[in-house]
Amino acid sequence: MSIFSFFRSAPKTSAVQAKERLQIVMAHERVGRSGPDYLPMLQQELLAVIAKYVDIDANKVEVKLDRGGDCSTLEVNIELPGRDQIKAPSAVKDAVPSKPANGVAKDEDDDKAVPIKSAASVLTNGGVSKRR
Amino acid sequence: MGKIIVMTSGKGGVGKTTSSAAFATGLALRGFKTVVIDFDVGLRNLDLVMGCERRVVFDFINVINGEAKLNQALIKDKRVDNLYILPTSQTRDKDALTKEGVERILNELCKEFDYIVCDSPAGIERGALMSLYFADHAIIVTNPEVSSVRDSDRILGVLSAKSRRAEQGMEPVTQQLLLTRYDPERVEKGEMLKVDDVLEILAIPLLGVIPESQAVLRASNIGMPVILDENSNAGQAYLDAVGRFLGEDVEHRFTTVQKKGLFSRLLRRSA
Repeated sequence: MSIFSFFRSAPKTSAVQAKERLQIVMAHERVGRSGPDYLPMLQQELLAVIAKYVDIDANKVEVKLDRGGDCSTLEVNIELPGRDQIKAPSAVKDAVPSKPANGVAKDEDDDKAVPIKSAASVLTNGGVSKRR
Repeated sequence: MGKIIVMTSGKGGVGKTTSSAAFATGLALRGFKTVVIDFDVGLRNLDLVMGCERRVVFDFINVINGEAKLNQALIKDKRVDNLYILPTSQTRDKDALTKEGVERILNELCKEFDYIVCDSPAGIERGALMSLYFADHAIIVTNPEVSSVRDSDRILGVLSAKSRRAEQGMEPVTQQLLLTRYDPERVEKGEMLKVDDVLEILAIPLLGVIPESQAVLRASNIGMPVILDENSNAGQAYLDAVGRFLGEDVEHRFTTVQKKGLFSRLLRRSA
């Protein structure tokens, strides 16, 4: 090893790259494996509740769970029909905004507007769970 | 009561059958009455690796279907006492492996044998699931290579979710890693994952490292479990692994480049 190589940062060997790639892909796959299986049910129940008030398309609902380092987010995306398509149920007096806001669910209970296209809330603070 | 060991990997071609043959032979050499079962229905090869292909009359599936008695299908090894082979069918498919049938045969074998080594097929379908379902111990055969490591992780997930022990809430299947086709020279060059890398990723205890060795092909050519080639690195590594499995404290060998002395270099001898 020459004295110059001391100053250069050693290039990553292919074995090191293999290890890093494996760690990333497997962290992902392990989450899926140990991940909650309540998501489909949650999606159905949320849908049922919202359908009581708004006429929604079951295919336009997305429930996603992202696990981060210190906090995980549950993201629920529900696309509501535009103003023209709404047959307002009696429970909802005012119309839904036709271009729904993109963002975090607000806690305000404003019964004028039916929220929201996208809601995200912190669900758990489990990091990437290790199997063992 | 016999113990059931499954040799599994997810990925194909990593050395499950070689390792099953070697391990079963190693256990028999230690005096344990051992049977090795081929679960790769339709693609049987354990008989060839064990060198008993011409002695197969009845098979595992015949016994499951009640077409033959277990004792008619078991082939006694001619080299090692206490060693038996239960070949599988070459003509049927994996659907022939019913859970009830497999359980019945394994229960019967458990009464007679100390160890039952199940050689799993590749994949995570029926054949693989049946081979691991009743296991007490799992030996995960892995090559230091990305696809093999990933598949091993997958099979670990299957073991901890779909084995009988998992389903019935019993003590989990023990899991140990057998790293095969390890090439210390390539590891030193940074071309191959290190033992420690694989251990860190899979996070299970290490049973053994089997070095890449020409002896493996030579042994399968002549239908001899490589563990019987005691002069080869691979054979010795399997003997060590069997010792560790039985609870002995055996130091790992063949994980670093063997520095050749001047003398052996002059003689150009290689293991």
